[in-house]
Amino acid sequence: MTVTDNESQGIIHVPTLIIALKNGLLVVVIFSLLALILQGILKPLVASLQVVETVTTTLSLILILVLPYIAYIMSGSAVRELVKTSIPQALLTAVIATIVLFSIISVGHYLLNLGIFAPTSSIQMTVVDTDEGVLVESVVEGGAADIAEVKVGDVITAIRRDPVDRATLMARVAQSEVDSPLRLRMIRDGEEIQVTVRTVLATSSDASALFPGLIMALGVTLITIIWPGQFTPYVILLAILSPLFLGYLWLIIATFSTRTQGIIPLDGEGNIGGFTLSNWDFLFGKDIVGLNVSIWQVTLNSLIIAVSMMLIVLVVSSMAAYALSRMHFPGRKAFLSFTLVLHGFPAVTLLIPIFFVLANLGRTPVIGEIVGFNKPIGIALVMVAFQLPLGVWLMKGFFDGIPWDIERSAMIDGASRWRVYWEILLPQIRPGLLALGIFAFLGGWNAFLIPQTYSTGAGMVNLPVFLNQLISETAPVNWNQIAAVGLFQLVPVFILFIFAQEYLLNIYAGGTKGFS
Amino acid sequence: MEKKAPDSRRNILRANLTAYGFLAPAGILVIIFFLIPVLLIIYLSMTNLATTNFTTNVSQMEFVGLENYAILLRDQFAGKIFFNTVFYVLVTLAIFNVSLALIVSLLTMHIPRRAGFAFRAIWILPRITTATVYIMLWRRLAVEAPYGIINQFNTLLNQPTYNYLDARPWEFVIMANGFIGVSFGMIIFTSAIESIPKDLMNASLVDGSTIMQRIRFIIMPLLRWPLLFVVTYQTLSLLTSFEQILLLTNGGPGLYDTEVWSLTAYHRALSNYFGNAQWGYGSAFAVVLVIIGVVLAVIYMRVFRFNELVAEPKIEVL
Amino acid sequence: MQVTIENLTKKFGDVIGAENLSLDIKDGEFVAFLGPSGCGKTTTLLMLAGIYKPTSGTIRFGDTVVNRLSPRERNIGMVFQSYALYPHMTVYKNIGYPLKLKNMQKKEIDERVNAVANTMGIGDLLDRRPGQLSGGQQQRVALGRALVKEPDILLFDEPLSNLDARLRLTMRGEIKHLQHDLGITSIYVTHDQIEAMTMADRIAVMSGGHLQAFDTPEALYDRPKTLFVAGFVGNPPMNFINVEVSASNGHFVATNGNMSLDLSKERGEKPATAGNSVVMGIRPEDIQIAPDGTVPAEVFVVEPLGRENLVDVRIDGESILLLADTKADHKRGDSVKLKFNMNKAQFFDSKTGKSLLWA
Ligand SMILES: Nc1ncnc2c1ncn2[C@@H]1O[C@H](COP(=O)(O)OP(=O)(O)O)[C@@H](O)[C@H]1O
Ligand SMILES: [Mg+2]
Repeated sequence: MTVTDNESQGIIHVPTLIIALKNGLLVVVIFSLLALILQGILKPLVASLQVVETVTTTLSLILILVLPYIAYIMSGSAVRELVKTSIPQALLTAVIATIVLFSIISVGHYLLNLGIFAPTSSIQMTVVDTDEGVLVESVVEGGAADIAEVKVGDVITAIRRDPVDRATLMARVAQSEVDSPLRLRMIRDGEEIQVTVRTVLATSSDASALFPGLIMALGVTLITIIWPGQFTPYVILLAILSPLFLGYLWLIIATFSTRTQGIIPLDGEGNIGGFTLSNWDFLFGKDIVGLNVSIWQVTLNSLIIAVSMMLIVLVVSSMAAYALSRMHFPGRKAFLSFTLVLHGFPAVTLLIPIFFVLANLGRTPVIGEIVGFNKPIGIALVMVAFQLPLGVWLMKGFFDGIPWDIERSAMIDGASRWRVYWEILLPQIRPGLLALGIFAFLGGWNAFLIPQTYSTGAGMVNLPVFLNQLISETAPVNWNQIAAVGLFQLVPVFILFIFAQEYLLNIYAGGTKGFS
Repeated sequence: MEKKAPDSRRNILRANLTAYGFLAPAGILVIIFFLIPVLLIIYLSMTNLATTNFTTNVSQMEFVGLENYAILLRDQFAGKIFFNTVFYVLVTLAIFNVSLALIVSLLTMHIPRRAGFAFRAIWILPRITTATVYIMLWRRLAVEAPYGIINQFNTLLNQPTYNYLDARPWEFVIMANGFIGVSFGMIIFTSAIESIPKDLMNASLVDGSTIMQRIRFIIMPLLRWPLLFVVTYQTLSLLTSFEQILLLTNGGPGLYDTEVWSLTAYHRALSNYFGNAQWGYGSAFAVVLVIIGVVLAVIYMRVFRFNELVAEPKIEVL
Repeated sequence: MQVTIENLTKKFGDVIGAENLSLDIKDGEFVAFLGPSGCGKTTTLLMLAGIYKPTSGTIRFGDTVVNRLSPRERNIGMVFQSYALYPHMTVYKNIGYPLKLKNMQKKEIDERVNAVANTMGIGDLLDRRPGQLSGGQQQRVALGRALVKEPDILLFDEPLSNLDARLRLTMRGEIKHLQHDLGITSIYVTHDQIEAMTMADRIAVMSGGHLQAFDTPEALYDRPKTLFVAGFVGNPPMNFINVEVSASNGHFVATNGNMSLDLSKERGEKPATAGNSVVMGIRPEDIQIAPDGTVPAEVFVVEPLGRENLVDVRIDGESILLLADTKADHKRGDSVKLKFNMNKAQFFDSKTGKSLLWA
């Protein structure tokens, strides 16, 4: 009989236990090291460069916060195999591994004042619920409560005017910032008195708080052991996406309610509810408070910008792409490399000089009437120009994919290059045109920076600029109203998006065709 | 009855004119909105144009040479803004545009195709939501209790509440931009991983490798180029896009706390943040970015096998 | 329309597409360009069509130098291997497109398209898109489109190679007939020598961008002027054996090791002057397995072809292909005796590759 056999028949499986502990400790060490690097090296470094930030702290806090759970998950997953052979053995092994890890982590927390040993806002006394109110059980000597002369046996009834029980009292204390005053109403010896306690930052040494932590740890380990692995990607993906979900959820809820707190819709009295359609009144010609522009005029502006951009981008970039993909001419290579450089070139850096270009164009006779500063077409053309490098590149890729024989055949049939382009090739790159068209439309529909920068007055206001005006120029800001207008702006995009997902997914990678 | 062949030179000219005809609209737009502006901004950065001596007439602007650049070097906030930019670009790139993008594309490939597709589609949403609406959502997540969504959870969990845009401005600037940036890398990485030959994967499965080993030894080496591409391309995007920061914090909450280089150029020249628009000085800030942009763009061309993309057309006549 | 090609050369950078081609194609003639893949057939055809510009040399249609004419000015019809139909147009529009480009009246277009479609047997498919047609039908549409404008010259670039064997056979006959009836000068590119042999009036054999031979199918088969042509034309291919041809008092003998074959004076006289660097070529059908044969050999492989068997025999380890009756049941390892029909034997100079019989 070998040693391994011997061990595997015991109540715990020692080799698995060792792996489980090793995995868990590895996480502890790596995460702690990372947090240490963030706090000890990166943070001072960044600070020495005058950057005022809390990102490094936030990141190390997140690391410390998730560290125990990742450790339990890693050790738990080491036990998963064992479940198949012996469930009791597996459970016991897991429990022991978890307890060992939990102890190590707790000692770490205690030494470093982290986790439950982290200093929190406190008034340094213990209380219990009674029928009369919250009874003070003990007071830390020299602590915040003691200084405010709270005595054991006092019964707290309210903070200011809000009645409290033990849970609300603890919550109020935890949420208050350090050194903020709490006015407690209490009954001492049958008399009602008021005491103001100032919260302090205190480390709790209440070891009994370890117990829920241990239960949590065991829970996490056990779930890990029986967790169906195929769900893991979903959970992680949903977790990462949660801010977006919450944001968009709020947008939708807000548009149909009188007011919101967080993502909860409330009515006038502060109860959950308050469903209303009044935020959508603007659709039916009602003026939005503060700005006397019809939403439909603004929508029309948006639509004109988006559609004209779409058409111009399609025609201009497909024409250039056709020549670059299919024709011989001197300078072809130069043109191509120039397009590629532009494709990577950050056009927004040119906002300043383009202002002067537009202003000067505006002063030229005839042309100025159309393309000058504060003229819709001028502004649209700027945006068209910004989309051209991508458009040309993308269209070229599509033209490159059409068999040469078809074009040769058309030329032998007697078509000129213009007719080949228009009658034969364009119909064949319809998917490309559709993709670029939607992309350009979205660009126009969502355009904010350029219309905002190059237009003054109401003439050129499109929905994004209008929304920004609503936010910055109305008082008081009616957020639910704005959410409705925002959703109104988003809906067409969303519909397009659902309808053209596949094309769009491709186009966002599109400019890179032929690279990797 | 020998018919005379048309003059060859005329024919070639006609062929070239057709090609240039196709290129003309794009060419004109590029000249007006790229070439001229690039030259102009270099000139503007050498004038002292401001609100007080404002003119759009180039010949009337006062040429001051490199004075703006000298001022820039002495500007007590330029250093802070510069390092803000470096910090912002590096952190966003590292956490979101590269790491998270890679994680998301790996995860979405380990679930059924349709589900993966749905998740990738959701990631595009931030990109197609107009900045004003998108930033409104982040503001709503960040504001103080009782309105803020995150603070609502804080309240539920008995945690202190904050106005996060004051307390944690960088976190939110980075997240708002990062969530937009993920989709780019995600798509590039996904298509790169999908193009890894199935045989290679199967072979390694037969060899009994774990997921981690497959990532380490098969996926990562093949992702070198896509990674390089995402890093260079997104560095440029992050360096130059400021729309979201403008709307979210506008460089605040404190003096230049989240101000980045491109936003400064915009503030100085194009918004009345200071009541006195300094076109010349703002241009000097922008020129720095233009130079970085050109350098990076030329690097792409060198690195990403440009010559393979310019195969000769297979029709030689008109 | 007569087509004259003089010293036509096409280079793509350093790559030679076609070099120094000279051909004279008579009015109404059906000429095939035959050669292995990559030998420059398509390149030559596209120069004729006006898609590629020749690097040097001239192309004449009739008396006109067309080098500088655009494809549209040449009045040619072309059928591509890929058919190159316009996928977004119906069959009717596809065929009518060349006419539309000539600004023809709607009524006339209608008449001509219907006429051509009926000739091609696709009159009932006019409303379909190319994607809804079979390969054979697409080929007919392509042919119809090439014919509809009544071209002076028809160009075919391997039009049948994407079809299955049976359809290829029918289309072969149809194209040949059509061309014969219409009398349009046609140039037909193929790498399939059976196609070339059965369809063409004359065949231009190409290799490596060069013209190897230009002659009638019979002449190419019976009197090949080069080793390349002899080997390329004919299926199964001609056998080649290194021999020494010697003359002794009016008797001519070709010998290789133990093998010794008598030759007539017409066949033997010229090779005998070339000494020992002679390659003898003999087609599989000109070798028989016969009891009275003179050359001993061993059967190596027997491949049934249906009508006859292709037998690979070895003479001193050298492989020789021949065609044998299916009734004679040969097995691997059988010893047989071979009889050569030496009046069909070809002789080539092994250094130059030129025929020693036909100048
Ligand atoms: N457009 C082109 N550019 C460069 N090389 C070409 C081009 N077209 C053909 N070639 C080259 O010319 C040679 C002849 O090609 P082709 O005429 O297509 O042969 P075939 O049609 O006989 O198979 C080949 O080596 C081919 O690679
Ligand atoms: Mg070919």
